[in-house]
Amino acid sequence: MVKLNIVIGGVGGQGVITMGKMLIRAVKPCYRAISSETHGLAQRGGGVNVHVRMGDVYAPLVPLGTADYVVGLEAIEGLRNIKYASSTSGIFIMNTKIQRPAIPKVSLPTIDDIIRLVKEYIKTVVVIDAEDLALKAGNLKAVNSVLVGTMLSVGKLRDFVDESVLLNSLNEVNRKAVYLGMDNYSVL
Amino acid sequence: MERLLLLGNESIARGALEAGVAVAAGYPGTPSTEVIETLLKERDRYVEWSVNEKVAFETAYGAAISGAYSLVTMKHVGLNVASDALISSSYTGVEGAMVIFSAGDPSMWSSQNEQDNRYYGLMALIPVFEPFDPQSAHDLTVKAFEFSAKVKHPVLLVSNTRVNHSRTWVNVGVKKAPVWGKLNKKPQVYSLVPSVARANREKQLKRWELITEEVKEFNVIEGDGKKLIITAGVGYAYVKELVEDNVRILRLGVSVPLNKEQILKAVDGVDEVLVVEELEPIVETQLKNILFDEDVRLKVHGKDYVPRTGELTFEKVGRAVAKFLGLQLLEFKEPEIKIPDRPPALCPGCPHRSSFIDLKRGIVKGGLNVTFFSGDIGCYSLGVLPPFNVQDSLIEMGSSLGIANGVFRATNTIPVAVIGDSTFFHNGLSGLANAVYNNLPVLIVVLDNRVTAMTGQNPSPSREIEIEEVAKGLGVEFVKWFDPFDLKKSIDVISEATKWVKEKRKPAVIVAKRACALDVLDKINGDLPIAVVDEKKCTGCSICYDFFTCPAITVGDNKKAVIDTSLCIGCGACIPVCPHNAITLKGETPKGWDELWLS
Repeated sequence: MVKLNIVIGGVGGQGVITMGKMLIRAVKPCYRAISSETHGLAQRGGGVNVHVRMGDVYAPLVPLGTADYVVGLEAIEGLRNIKYASSTSGIFIMNTKIQRPAIPKVSLPTIDDIIRLVKEYIKTVVVIDAEDLALKAGNLKAVNSVLVGTMLSVGKLRDFVDESVLLNSLNEVNRKAVYLGMDNYSVL
Repeated sequence: MERLLLLGNESIARGALEAGVAVAAGYPGTPSTEVIETLLKERDRYVEWSVNEKVAFETAYGAAISGAYSLVTMKHVGLNVASDALISSSYTGVEGAMVIFSAGDPSMWSSQNEQDNRYYGLMALIPVFEPFDPQSAHDLTVKAFEFSAKVKHPVLLVSNTRVNHSRTWVNVGVKKAPVWGKLNKKPQVYSLVPSVARANREKQLKRWELITEEVKEFNVIEGDGKKLIITAGVGYAYVKELVEDNVRILRLGVSVPLNKEQILKAVDGVDEVLVVEELEPIVETQLKNILFDEDVRLKVHGKDYVPRTGELTFEKVGRAVAKFLGLQLLEFKEPEIKIPDRPPALCPGCPHRSSFIDLKRGIVKGGLNVTFFSGDIGCYSLGVLPPFNVQDSLIEMGSSLGIANGVFRATNTIPVAVIGDSTFFHNGLSGLANAVYNNLPVLIVVLDNRVTAMTGQNPSPSREIEIEEVAKGLGVEFVKWFDPFDLKKSIDVISEATKWVKEKRKPAVIVAKRACALDVLDKINGDLPIAVVDEKKCTGCSICYDFFTCPAITVGDNKKAVIDTSLCIGCGACIPVCPHNAITLKGETPKGWDELWLS
C-alpha cells in the first residue's frame, strides 16, 4: 500500500487551492489521487487547508499523524496543521511569513517560536523565504509554486508526480518560481 | 474515453451534460455553487442563477413537467426555501427528468446548520442518490437523470463538502444534446386542487413502490465475511481504505429508499452490522425497520459508533470500524500547541467594514444608543465578530426583517436590520412588505456590493433592479443611499434616517452602495495605489488595526501602524478612519477605478 499524504495550510487568497491543483494535475498515471478543499467563507482571509493524497487512496482527508508533508504558505497556518504530520517521517516546509489575523489585540508567535514548537514534534523542518523568491520570479502570487519546487527537492514527492508534466502546466513566472524553490531553502 | 481533472461539483455538471440536461437553475451557496458556474459556460442549454432556491426549483420543475431534462442546484439549507414546491412535486411526478442537487455542509464550514437533507427524501417520497467521490458523482448524476425519466419522478442528488469540493481525475463520456420539452397541459395532474391531489397521492405511493423496487441496481455488495458494513456517501471512501476484503460491504448509491430484498440478501449469514453514514441515521433507521418487520434479530450499530455531528474523518470511521471488528486502535495524541485563531475576515477594501463603522457612529448620532442588530446571511455576517459586533442574530436568508419585527414587538426597542443586496432579493422583500404593512419602526441597512460575494462574486439582481426603487415601490417613505467609504456623509445619512424612524415610527431604508473589492480587482488591470503611514503623525492609537481591522494594516514598533504591501489594494477606506490624518495614498489609480467601485 503506497501512499503519499500532504496537507497544505495557508490564508485564504494565498493560492492554497491552486497549489493542490498543481500537484494533483501532475500525478503519475499509475496512481490514484484526490485533493480536498475548503471554500466559501474560508476564502475570506481565514485559515484554509488542502489535503492532497496519492497512491492507494480513496478517502478525501489525511489521517492525523501520517502526512509526509505539512506545508505552510503562511507560518502560523503551517503550524496549525502540524497535527497531520507523521512524527517519524514527516517534513514540515514553511514560508517564513507571518500574516496577522484581522482580529483586535492579537498576540503572535515569531518564526523562531514556530520552528521551536515544530521541532519538538518532528525532525525535519525546512524554511524558505517564498515571498521574496516569488517576487524574484516575477509575481508575489507565485509563492505556491516556490513551495512546490521545495517539495520536489525534499522528500518523496518526485516518486508520485511527473516533474515535466508539472512544469509544462505552468506559465513562465511560475516555472521560474518552482526552480527557485528547488534551490533556495534551508533544512533545520 | 476522456479523462478530466474535476472537482466533485464539476463532475456533477459534466454528468448532467452527458444526460442531456436542457434547463438548469440554482441559487449560489457553498458547497454547491460550482455546478451552475460550470454549466453557465454551455451555450446550447438554458442556465440561470435564480433569485432564490424556490424560484430555481419551480423553474426546473416547470421544464420537467413539459418533458425537458432539468437540474436545480442549491446548498442544503436552500432546500428548506424550496421545500414547499419539493413536497408537492412528488405528488405530480414529471414528464421529462428532474434532478434536485442539494449540497450539505457537515461541520458547518460555511453554514448556519448541518441538516441532513436525506430526510427530505423520506418526507417527500423522493429517492436520494448519494455519491462518495467525484467519479461516482459524475456516474450517479447520469444515472439519476435516466432514473427520473424512467420512473417519471423527481430525484434528489445529495452530497456533502468532501465530495463536492474534492478533486480527482474523472473518466467522462460524451455530452448529449439537450432534451427540451413541448407544451403539455394536464391540469388533471399538475393543478393540485384537493380532488387532483387525492388522486395523485395514490399514484405517488404506487410510484414509490416501483422506485423502491428499482433502486437495487445502484447498490453493490463487495467482499464477504460474517460482519457487514453498510455505507452511504463519503463513508464508503473511508471504509474502503480501512478494511480488508474479509468484511462484507454494502455500498449504497441510493440511500433512500432501501430495498427489502436487497437488505435481506446483504444480511444473510451475517452476525453483526455497522452502518457508516455522515450526519443522521437515515440508512440505519430504514434498516432497523426492515429487520424488525422481517423478524431478523441482528445487532445493528450506527450512530452509537459513528458520531452524529461533523463530517466524517479517518479518526471517526477508524474508531467505529475498530470497535466493530474488535481491532486494536492506535489513538493519536494531538500535539498541544497554542495557536492564535484566524477566523475569516472581511477583505482589504471590503465596503462592509466601512459600512459597519459608519453605522455604529451614525445611529448614535441619530439618538439610538441601544438597539438590536438583526443580521442576515452573507459576507457581512462576519460583522458578528469583534470589533464590529453588529449581528445580534442571523439564522437564515432574509431573517433580518422578520426577526427585527419580533424583537420590536416584544421589547419596544427600535432595531436595525442589516441585509445584503442578494439576500434582499432572495427573501428580504416579503419582510420589507410586512414592515410597511404593519408599521414597524426599523432602520433597514441594505449593504449593496453589487454581487453575491460570499460564494465567489456570483451575479446579483441589484445590477438590474434598483433597491431604492423597490423600497419606494413597496411604500417605504424614507429611502436614501450612501457611499460607505465617505465616512462623514454616511454618518449624516444614517443619523438622519435614525431620527426619522424614531419620530415617524415607520421603516426607513438606506442603501450602502459600493462594489465588492474582489470584484473590482478581478476587473481591473494595472498597478494599484497603496496606503502610506506618516510615522510622524501616527500616534500608535491602534484604531486602524484594532477597531477598523483591515488585514493590510499591521502593528510595527511603538504600536505604530504598518501597511502590509502585499495585501493593501489602495482603496483608501482607512484614510478617514485615522483621527490623526496619518494615512495617505501613494500612486495613481488605474483607469476606470472609481467607476468600478461605484457603478
